[in-house]
Amino acid sequence: MKSTSLWQLFWTFFKIGAFTFGGGWSLIAVMEEEVVVRRKWATPDDMLEMLIISESTPGVIAVNMATSIGYRQRGFWGALVATMGVVVPSFVIISALSFGLEALAQNKWYQAVFYGIQVGAIVLILNAFLKLFKQLEKNASNLIVMVVALSVSLFTNVNVVFVIIAGAVFGILVNCVFNKNKRLPAEAVGEATKKEDE
Amino acid sequence: MQFLLLFWEYFQIGLFTIGGGYAMLPMVQQVVERNGWMTQAELIGFVGIAESTPGPFAVNLATFVGMEVGKATSMGVFGGILGAFVATFAVVLPSFVVILIVTKLFIKFKENKYVNGAMSGIKPVVVGLILSAVLTIAFAVVFPKLQFDSINAEGFSEFRYVSLIMFAVLFVISRIKFGKKRIHPILIVVLSAVMGVVAFGFFNLPR
Repeated sequence: MKSTSLWQLFWTFFKIGAFTFGGGWSLIAVMEEEVVVRRKWATPDDMLEMLIISESTPGVIAVNMATSIGYRQRGFWGALVATMGVVVPSFVIISALSFGLEALAQNKWYQAVFYGIQVGAIVLILNAFLKLFKQLEKNASNLIVMVVALSVSLFTNVNVVFVIIAGAVFGILVNCVFNKNKRLPAEAVGEATKKEDE
Repeated sequence: MQFLLLFWEYFQIGLFTIGGGYAMLPMVQQVVERNGWMTQAELIGFVGIAESTPGPFAVNLATFVGMEVGKATSMGVFGGILGAFVATFAVVLPSFVVILIVTKLFIKFKENKYVNGAMSGIKPVVVGLILSAVLTIAFAVVFPKLQFDSINAEGFSEFRYVSLIMFAVLFVISRIKFGKKRIHPILIVVLSAVMGVVAFGFFNLPR
């Protein structure tokens, strides 16, 4: 694990920051591919845990993910270079463009590119969802919680944070209070992914 | 001192908004209005551009707002770049510190049964939230008039079938396996840009 160089971390996140459009979720889809599939820096389960931490702490999710992955790889400096990697492309591009940006946004070809990329972003996020859904243990409680979270976030204006807190409380109640002797689903999921890796 | 104010305002935005970049938007609106940095119309224009440039949306927006505030000072273009740097740094700093602490604690308490219990409860929530993101964005692109909190026939009146066909083609391509690997997501982004140029640029198709 220690063999990851700081440069590698920076470069990986720089690419993610430079080539991904359309908000946090599509960045996360690309991170999943780079970090789990290509570089094997984290297991799918680690990735989901970091995603949970990033969602439930302040700040921009994609930046939080970079910080968290960098920290796990190389400690403080890893966190710093990964965060810089994902932020620097935005900073440079926006600064460079900001002088002629309003004109650019009206340009027909630029709009054509953007409309296309919007569609591409849906594909990326859908694939990220499919990957995570495959990992999730399909028992009744997980599926119900998933559908409830989906409905609340889709049809109401309730802040996502409260949905996450409710999920945490539910998880503690089910796993620690009512079912003291039962094996934790989290462990079972961990084992399932280990088997898949082999 | 405009730059200190910019730092302080964006530091608070970074610290107090949970749930990602779009959750920051209302607070950004308040801040630019309160300080008279720009009109709401200007900000909305920026939001559109921040969405259509690479990188996390909220970071793009912070860079933008900082650039505008900096350019308005006596320092001109140099002030703009300094302002962009200050706002970007300020919005990232609080979460950077929080994430370091939380990740460290999480690794330490990973085996704790309450932490584990909470995590196993949040996992399906996050999967549901991602599905919600997929549906929200997909419907915004294909049926731009549809609103999930009041679904009616009016919502389906504009149907962007070209986008839907592009989506289906890209999705199938993204699922093809070459050996053990699928096409890299960045390639899908590039491909979608090319398809956009061909469909909406050369052939002038409606979206």
